[in-house]
Amino acid sequence: MSGLGDIGHLLLTANLWQLTLASAVLFLLPALGGVTSERSGVVNIAMEGMMLTGAFFAVVADLKLHNPWLSTLVAMLAGGLMALIHAVVSIRFRADQIVSGIAINIFAAGLTVFLANRIYGVPGVGHVGDSELLPNINIPVLDQIPFLGQVVFQQNVIVYVALIVLVLTQVVLFRTRLGLRIRAVGEHPQAADTAGINVFRLRYGSVLVSGLLSGLAGAYLAIGISNTFVPNITAGRGYIALAAMIFGKWTPYGAFVACLIFGLGFAIFANNSFIHISAYLLNMLPYIITLVVLAGVVGRSTPPAADGLPYVPGSE
Amino acid sequence: MGHMRLRVLGVVAAALMLAVACGGSTGGGNAKQIKVGLVTDTGGLNDKSFNHLAYVGLQSAISKLGVKGDVIESKTGDDYVPNLTNFAQKGYDLVIGNGFLMQPAIGTVAAQFPNIKFAIVDGAGTDAKFNDLKQTNVMDLFFKEQESGALVGAIAGLLEKQGKAPKNTHVISAVGGIKIPPVDHYLAGYQWAAKIYDPSIKVLIGYSNDFNATDKCKAVANSQIGQGSEFVFQVAGGCGVGALQAAGQAHVYSFGVDADQKDADPSVIASALKKVDVAVYDAIKSVVDGKFTGGANRFSLANDATGYQVDNFSLPADIKTEIDNLAAAMKSGSKTPPDVVS
Amino acid sequence: MGAGKASRPRFGIVPRFTGLAVPVGSVLFAFVAGGLIVLISGANPIDAYQGLLCGVGLLCAGGENPALEISNTIVFVTPLITAGVAVAIPFRAGLFNIGAEGQLLVGTVACLVVGLKLGSLPGILLVPLELIAGMAAGAAWAGIAGVLKATVGAHEVVTTIMLNYVAQYLVQYLIIGGPLQAPGAFSASSPISVNGRLPTFFPASNSLIVLGLPSSVYRVHTGLIIALVAAAVFAFLLWRTSLGYEIRAVGQSQKAARYAGVSVPRTIIVTMLIAGAFAGLAGAIQIAGVDKQLTDKYFNDTTGFDAIAVALLGLGSAVGIVLAAVLFGALHAGGAVMQSDAGLSSNLVLVLQALILFSIAGNFVGQISRLIPGLRPPPTLPSELPPAAPLMTEAAAPPPETA
Repeated sequence: MSGLGDIGHLLLTANLWQLTLASAVLFLLPALGGVTSERSGVVNIAMEGMMLTGAFFAVVADLKLHNPWLSTLVAMLAGGLMALIHAVVSIRFRADQIVSGIAINIFAAGLTVFLANRIYGVPGVGHVGDSELLPNINIPVLDQIPFLGQVVFQQNVIVYVALIVLVLTQVVLFRTRLGLRIRAVGEHPQAADTAGINVFRLRYGSVLVSGLLSGLAGAYLAIGISNTFVPNITAGRGYIALAAMIFGKWTPYGAFVACLIFGLGFAIFANNSFIHISAYLLNMLPYIITLVVLAGVVGRSTPPAADGLPYVPGSE
Repeated sequence: MGHMRLRVLGVVAAALMLAVACGGSTGGGNAKQIKVGLVTDTGGLNDKSFNHLAYVGLQSAISKLGVKGDVIESKTGDDYVPNLTNFAQKGYDLVIGNGFLMQPAIGTVAAQFPNIKFAIVDGAGTDAKFNDLKQTNVMDLFFKEQESGALVGAIAGLLEKQGKAPKNTHVISAVGGIKIPPVDHYLAGYQWAAKIYDPSIKVLIGYSNDFNATDKCKAVANSQIGQGSEFVFQVAGGCGVGALQAAGQAHVYSFGVDADQKDADPSVIASALKKVDVAVYDAIKSVVDGKFTGGANRFSLANDATGYQVDNFSLPADIKTEIDNLAAAMKSGSKTPPDVVS
Repeated sequence: MGAGKASRPRFGIVPRFTGLAVPVGSVLFAFVAGGLIVLISGANPIDAYQGLLCGVGLLCAGGENPALEISNTIVFVTPLITAGVAVAIPFRAGLFNIGAEGQLLVGTVACLVVGLKLGSLPGILLVPLELIAGMAAGAAWAGIAGVLKATVGAHEVVTTIMLNYVAQYLVQYLIIGGPLQAPGAFSASSPISVNGRLPTFFPASNSLIVLGLPSSVYRVHTGLIIALVAAAVFAFLLWRTSLGYEIRAVGQSQKAARYAGVSVPRTIIVTMLIAGAFAGLAGAIQIAGVDKQLTDKYFNDTTGFDAIAVALLGLGSAVGIVLAAVLFGALHAGGAVMQSDAGLSSNLVLVLQALILFSIAGNFVGQISRLIPGLRPPPTLPSELPPAAPLMTEAAAPPPETA
């Protein structure tokens, strides 16, 4: 099948893997947020909505402020605010966290387009000028390494940030006291509470972090890769991040591997000019791969023990 | 307690109804003023090309002809029929559908409202199998996009042949949205003309499957640039702006589509024009002048509705002469670009 | 409603009314909060709600025909009912079926294929075959997720989301240059023949004028009846069959169910199969009743996702689902009117949907009524809700067996 041959050739090019990493980051950031949130015991499927919100406000801010860095900050705050809603509804009101998450996603989808229409009217959201986008940065010296140089060191600034956040998350969660507490709160909140750990504060904080990271991903998408906001710009990436999180068994590094697989699927699709397989079939790749892997390799995915259970002091 | 709650609910509900009944805006309009409704396809008005141009045409008619114009953006294909019906049953004088994919919807609604006039860009009123129903109340606005595609393809071909391209790789490319005829017309012309002037040229064609999200087109364009393309032609509406962006970031050239996209990105050296605004304006004017007739209207070089525009670039004089010769040849019919991608 | 028999309010009103307080209160909350959002954004909430109300034929100010609006609403409502059931059934078993959309899509494909291949059969045979094909396809699609969950414990939220995407791209593949694309058409399949269609209530004639418009604009079709029957079947299944008992048992507590002799894996699989069948039925009804062919409309169809909100607002009961479907169908139709009359993006409807969900999930009605002096203390959500069936508070408890 020449199609498979085409893909085979493609896999040997640095361009493909460069695009893979760039795309993977769009899944990675929200996935890391999800890991943090769920490790503390709050189910979070709202990454899609938080990312969408971040993307929208990134563009709005950039069109106003003409500064990608400030705009990224605005995006993160916007994501954080959405996360706060989820946190309050889930923790304070003890709502079912899946419902709350879905509600956030619907809310974000509606609010962003509604506000875009109110602010920009019929002509639609404008485009951000090239100079006001998050820049691509080639890391000197390292980017000259054959193959790897192009793949890893010729990327958008947010890619580097994401990789740092990846390592940070893994280290914090598994090698620091703070991480231990977060995980304790996710596994045995009652015991943690008895030990003097503030369950509510840690959960709020973790959910907030997931909002900040998702907002960052939104900014990367809207003013790093694209230059405008269109309805549903996130196109389900938040949900894929969710899959990556579960696939990675709620660990950052594990999620990263999954994100790379998804990024690869997208990168292969983007190269449909050279592959003699229907672009629509190519689109299906990452999802089928995930299903196969979930079925065979990953096995039973166990979330943190108290994941999804509203914590009621004194209830256990 | 239940009584109380119920009463509260009842009062609130009544108050709401009262408020709504007493509030609300009245519809506008002078009884004699011509009312035009425009329904866009799912690409939305922010596409900087296709839908945007139709909107420009409508605005132009509003200011120059004094008509009243309204726009509804369709979110999904589900909305075409209800949106068109909305305008039709309110008695609008002209209902315009923008886009090839709306043909069956126009066919359905035009048949239900034989006294309302319709126009559709890139198509005709058709049945479910896309067979033209030849409805007398529908004006079909067809474009020969292949001519515009050919003109920019010729620019690329000539620049490559004369060694005036950024890297002279003899590779050019195009990013299509979805593989529908208007898109493929552009691509077919592009391919054909480039090969006339530079027989050794390689033309890469990819599709983003999206007319909206710029990141997809950017990725496809980048993959093509990675394989050496130095002229990226975007035929993907709003999504395609991402392709232009990719060209800019890679320091190669790009071609805009439909509208003059010189402001979309500095890498745009020319745009393949499709004067949808002119077609829309003309359709409205025909209604205002009482000269509306159903049937096919063809827009091409012959009536100056297709063409090209040089942007952000100074085209060498001899190349410009060649291009204009090609245009004349297409106009006279001595050269005919294909409308199918090879 | 109440957290248990002991806290059941001691007033004489028929419990049915109190059962309505949470959903109705939530809708009210959403409209008030939504109105505030519209106000803050500088627009007039009255215009917005006037447009939305036009969805049920009331207060249409822009020249819309109320009968047409009601007809459009019913057309939107019909698939929401069965899709809502497709989400509600797994809820009862403690599963979250986000995959209703994908199951619906494969249902459309199956229905179309049967309708095209067997197009010469008489309608009395063809239509049921199409519907059964749709149900079978949907069941199989959901079954994949069910089997994965039951055997390797794969999280159904993830698998169903993946399957949604695969289904969506499958539809694109089939009709954009693919095997189902009609010759000469683009991103559309051939339409099914007349005998494969669900009859509409009004004759599909362009010349017969009903209430000011040609009767063919009224697309209300008999699929509505099928949907309502399906809802009744759902209620019967859940409350009157032993399978329904098993489903509910698994939803309450997998451990307890196991002790009671229920096979949890088997129940999970069967639940997903049934849910998929309902979703596939929704898709088949859409094809046979409304669209008659697969078009690009299905590339961004949101019925399966709206159904999640429908199932939740309907508190998982058949009547509730029908009412919730009516609400969301009306909002969908009214949203378009609102956009064309008031110039407000129809996405406001999504905002309202979300507010409703927040309110139900967080029991805002209970919290708010706690603040209003003089009202009886509201029910509290039981604190030890099993994660399996978190949505089903006592308020959502089934109506007395007479229903």
